Amino acid sequence: MKSSNTRPDQFSEGPLDSRTVIGFYHVDLAYDDQKAIDNISFTVANGEFLCLTGPSGAGKSSILRLIAMDAFPTKGEVMVRGMLSSKMSRRKVPQLRREIGFVFQDFRLLEDRSVQDNISFVQLVVGISHAQIVKNNMRVLTQVGLYDKRHRLPRQLSGGEQQRVAIARAMVSSPKILLADEPTGNLDPVNAQEIIDLLFRINDAGTSVVFSTHDHGIVKSFGQRVIVINEGRIESDEKRRVPVNRKANLADKMYIAAARKERLNV
Amino acid sequence: MFKSAQVVYLIRESFAGFHRRKLTTGVTILIMGSALLVLAMLTLVTLNMGNMLEKARAGIDMRVFLHDGLDNARIAELQPRLVVIPGVQSVTWISPETALAQFKEGLGEDAAILDLLDSNPLPASYHLTLTPEARNLKAVEAIHAEIAVWGEVSEILYNQGWIDALESWTFRFQMASLAVGLMVFIAAVFVISNTVKLTMAASARVIQIQKLVGATNTFIRIPYLCEGMIQGLLAGILAMGLLGLAGWFLDDRLGGVIFFSPQQIIGFVLFCVVLGLTGSFAAMRKYLTMQSEI
Repeated sequence: MKSSNTRPDQFSEGPLDSRTVIGFYHVDLAYDDQKAIDNISFTVANGEFLCLTGPSGAGKSSILRLIAMDAFPTKGEVMVRGMLSSKMSRRKVPQLRREIGFVFQDFRLLEDRSVQDNISFVQLVVGISHAQIVKNNMRVLTQVGLYDKRHRLPRQLSGGEQQRVAIARAMVSSPKILLADEPTGNLDPVNAQEIIDLLFRINDAGTSVVFSTHDHGIVKSFGQRVIVINEGRIESDEKRRVPVNRKANLADKMYIAAARKERLNV
Repeated sequence: MFKSAQVVYLIRESFAGFHRRKLTTGVTILIMGSALLVLAMLTLVTLNMGNMLEKARAGIDMRVFLHDGLDNARIAELQPRLVVIPGVQSVTWISPETALAQFKEGLGEDAAILDLLDSNPLPASYHLTLTPEARNLKAVEAIHAEIAVWGEVSEILYNQGWIDALESWTFRFQMASLAVGLMVFIAAVFVISNTVKLTMAASARVIQIQKLVGATNTFIRIPYLCEGMIQGLLAGILAMGLLGLAGWFLDDRLGGVIFFSPQQIIGFVLFCVVLGLTGSFAAMRKYLTMQSEI
């Protein structure tokens, strides 16, 4: 696979500069003749926080699959970190995946391994030394507030904690891109807000984040770029200049405050 | 190549599966062991039956009777001619007197009846034993054809009915062993492959997640292949152990039961290891080519 930092010649439209980490150029994706993505073009800059939203089945997850090169376009070209989907061999996919962090609604943790082992695995894959793994585990688990629970199995943690483990796993190799597919879908507003805050902190550190959600409440709280997908097409792509509320809406704030108080009482 | 931390991880993971999936691994080893036990039993029965047939073949011989009245010199010159015939192992001269003595011995208590005879009616003969390769009907008939034309020879006897039956039984036995062996082998492979697939199905999600975080197929595969090999090894040892126990028990009662030689045992266990390895390899392919379901 030859990597290239230039956009493919046949796709000359749209903004592209050296800061582009993800580029979609007139992309179609079909599953069994059923179009999931229909002529989509957009780019994501280095360090950008992009929110993909739209109803269930709109094509958000398909876009994430294309970025992870878990699916390949039936038409058009996807470029991720300079790697083109048309020139990507399956053997090179693991290499790309190591530059991408993943966070899912259902956490996707290795259930039979401890928190620490889940995070170590990602590092073992890339051949990091044992001493460095221990240091990295300490760093990321402290960041997500789970260092004390490092020996526990995922099922011994709450949903929010499991999601924080997933984020720690995604971040431990310092990926350039973080893909978050409905990461707050299984969480209560308190935990959801904590996860969103965590993702913003990761983005502040320079990682491009692609966040997919169908939750309008969360989308409204974003002062970031939001792409609305519907029936496989881009309905709107706007960058909000004035953040509505980066943290949470009023109702959620009240719930969060109440829940926090309840937790303290416990 | 893998770095030291990765090698340590892969070795640890190869054994960790036994701890994590105690029940599935235990059941896999038991099922594999049972399938392999049946296969080993059949092989052992085949070996023992083959051995019995070979022993029976050792009894194939020929008796060449000579005309009466031949002088000793003529009789004596037949011996070197018989020895050089291909397939003949040894030649023993049996005089009429020796033949009668043997006959008497064979009659036991009824031997007194021979005292009524005026003269010895038994002719002189040569007893031919055959080389192992010649202990079949075709070779015996070839030897018969060569000797029958000699003027000194009055009659040639060999246990044709016995050879015919033996040949027929050997053929049937070989065919039956081949057919049953093939069926048992296919069944064993099928059972083992499906059992390994069940283990893999339990690990499908883990494999998907490993792929998602950038693990190469080789990195994912190695612990499972090692686990498959260890399962094959344990199943092979289990099958051999049970068979050895049964062999020891039967030998005490039947006697003369032949068991696998140490080399054959090592070969069988290695075969089980390879079976476990290939079973895991084949079962994994499906999960490694599956998409990550993001």
